[in-house]
Amino acid sequence: MKPISFVQRMFREYYMRDYSLSSSLLMIDRREFGFALFEGWMLRHKSFKHSDELKEFLQSSAPSDAYCSCAYYENPEADMDKKGWLGADLIFDIDADHVPTSCKKVHDTWVCGSCGFGGKGGVPEKCPVCGSEKFNVKTWPCEVCLNSARAETVKLLDMLMEDFGFSKSEVYVFFSGHRGYHVHVEGEAVKTLDAVARKEIVDYISGLGFDAVFHGVSRKSWRRTHVLSSPSLNNLGWSRRIAKGIYDFILNAEKEDLTSIGLKRNVVETILKNKDTILKSWKGSWTLGAVKGVGFETWRRIILSCAQQQSAKIDTVVTTDIHRLIRLADTLHGKTGLKKAEFPASAIDDFDPFKSAVAFKKGVVTVFVSDAPEFRLGDEVFGPYKERKVDLPTAAAVLLICKGRAEVVG
Amino acid sequence: MQLATTKFTKNDLAKYPFLKETTEYVKKLDLKIEDLANPEFAKILERAEERVEEAILYALVSRKLRNEDIETLSFPTATMLAVATENSFIKKRYALAEAKQAYNDMKLEPKEKILAIAQNFKWKLTVNNDAEIPYEFTLHFTDYLRNTTHLREKKWKLVNRLLSKGNVYLTRNEAARLLSEEVRKHIEKRLEVKELPKLPQKIMETAEKIKKLSVEKIGKAEMEGFPKTIVQTAFPPCIQALYQAFSSGRHLSHVGRFALTSFLINIGMPSEKVIELFKNFSDYNERMTRYQVEHIAGERGSRTRYIPPKCETLKTHGVCTSPDELCKILHHPLAYYRRKVKTAKTDFQN
Repeated sequence: MKPISFVQRMFREYYMRDYSLSSSLLMIDRREFGFALFEGWMLRHKSFKHSDELKEFLQSSAPSDAYCSCAYYENPEADMDKKGWLGADLIFDIDADHVPTSCKKVHDTWVCGSCGFGGKGGVPEKCPVCGSEKFNVKTWPCEVCLNSARAETVKLLDMLMEDFGFSKSEVYVFFSGHRGYHVHVEGEAVKTLDAVARKEIVDYISGLGFDAVFHGVSRKSWRRTHVLSSPSLNNLGWSRRIAKGIYDFILNAEKEDLTSIGLKRNVVETILKNKDTILKSWKGSWTLGAVKGVGFETWRRIILSCAQQQSAKIDTVVTTDIHRLIRLADTLHGKTGLKKAEFPASAIDDFDPFKSAVAFKKGVVTVFVSDAPEFRLGDEVFGPYKERKVDLPTAAAVLLICKGRAEVVG
Repeated sequence: MQLATTKFTKNDLAKYPFLKETTEYVKKLDLKIEDLANPEFAKILERAEERVEEAILYALVSRKLRNEDIETLSFPTATMLAVATENSFIKKRYALAEAKQAYNDMKLEPKEKILAIAQNFKWKLTVNNDAEIPYEFTLHFTDYLRNTTHLREKKWKLVNRLLSKGNVYLTRNEAARLLSEEVRKHIEKRLEVKELPKLPQKIMETAEKIKKLSVEKIGKAEMEGFPKTIVQTAFPPCIQALYQAFSSGRHLSHVGRFALTSFLINIGMPSEKVIELFKNFSDYNERMTRYQVEHIAGERGSRTRYIPPKCETLKTHGVCTSPDELCKILHHPLAYYRRKVKTAKTDFQN
């Protein structure tokens, strides 16, 4: 038995037995669907009248990946320029690939497609041996990476709810099924926003174009510079975020943090020596100019770096693309066999993707594992494995096969 | 507490002739296009002509509120004149001038009137009653974005605004400024006429007069094309970096590839040559590359030639890496190129 057909068989079983369409997919008949098939090609411009029709399709074709447009169209099946765009959900993608973590060195590997040379961690621009740029990359959905993506998602959700004022019933949060999180905002207010308006939202969330001058820090009276002129402003928008950021930054600042944002040595020393004075004066009267030698330009830099820390690292292209296809909720991810799983925004701190997204809950499969790091699914920890035969629960076996690290022993 | 909206007076209708209420009032007067040719309506046509002329000359339209009906009726007549010129510069200029004047008037109005005008455009504008926040209005961010994304000043960037619970805080001046943007768009839309209806001789003659004036004032639009030869030293830093990465076959992001391809096409590189460049890539696929490049060049599909994204968009997607002095005053990679080629030329001539 070939490994691929085993995975496809398991996917089909999932769509026959366990799959049900999430209720959050509004106006299903107005959306475009796309599928990546195990046979190796991509199907696009599909549409379905209702969820049963979609379900039947998933059961008969058992695709490796299923996508659906964020956009609504008059004719979802027509060519791109004849579809008749009616509007689109506002979507966000946070992927661990965009968030640097140190653990990638441990679990991500790459092999040069031309000469076979390989290494660990981030993929180089060019193969150091032959100069080729084609690599076979093996990544791993690890908990550390996913936790850092989750932290970015928490920041994003805070902005969506507090600043943009979206209600819980408009914001849907998902584990993507692989290395990140998706957030969908559905609602009349955002539906017709064009790409330029969405770009402005992206800039807001990633802090691009941020200038402290517009958040209460002024050059004219820097001796009495007020970051926030009153406690009530303290609780709003980016100003609140910066206020929080300044406190955390100064409190935890080490020499390296300060030099890395481009401050001169004497300024760094002054800040480190007077940490307490700065924080006390800031907390007491929202004054930044308490210490001589730490002036407007210094604060501007510090605040800019605070803005960087407080911003959420989202994929800028996904949100600004008003025709984007995004993974369909509750379908399986072809790289993991995990499902794209929805959970309430309020539960994000306790959400466990390696439990909630597990689709296969029964059975044991014998596989030969070439190489796999230690990993957890549900409450069980597996591996690390290297060149050995092992009996695994279906979900763990499917994960390893999908990641190209194991084969079924038939 | 929401303030009750005030009713518009006849004076308001003359001052803000783009309001729905004004249109309804005009309808009641039941004036026909043909009537405008009659001598008794000469004053209206005269005033309408003056409106468009002032727009061309000063980018402002004065207000003559002594005779309210003439003032009110001269607006739809002026839009008709602008339409009759079939000249996109005059149309844009007229919409801009009316909007600028509306801004000057609106910023002096009491809050209630500003609210009423906003309501006319279905804006979610409310009065801010939180005494601790020094702004007079709040506006829903969707209305805000629809009217600010093309404004370049940094203070309009959403990230530099106070945004809370879906609302952006605005001063009275700012609210008036954004409303005037809405007015400009509204008038521009009214001037968008695909096919010119049959208009009385008198109107067409006046339109001709206006066209002549605009040619005198503005001169023949200097539609400066790009030079035939490609001057690589005039590439903006972002394109230069992309081009270098590209020529050495390094990986480029999707946005990066699009920016570079559309840039090269627009400065006159033939698509064959661009396709040739792509051969350096390890994932080169002739059929796919040809399809994409020719699409961008407008030789296939929708037949529109794409232009590269503006600087702000390139910033969003991390393509703008090391802007230089010239970047600070320009907002588009093509503008940069055009400017630099021009200065390089004059340097050479001197």
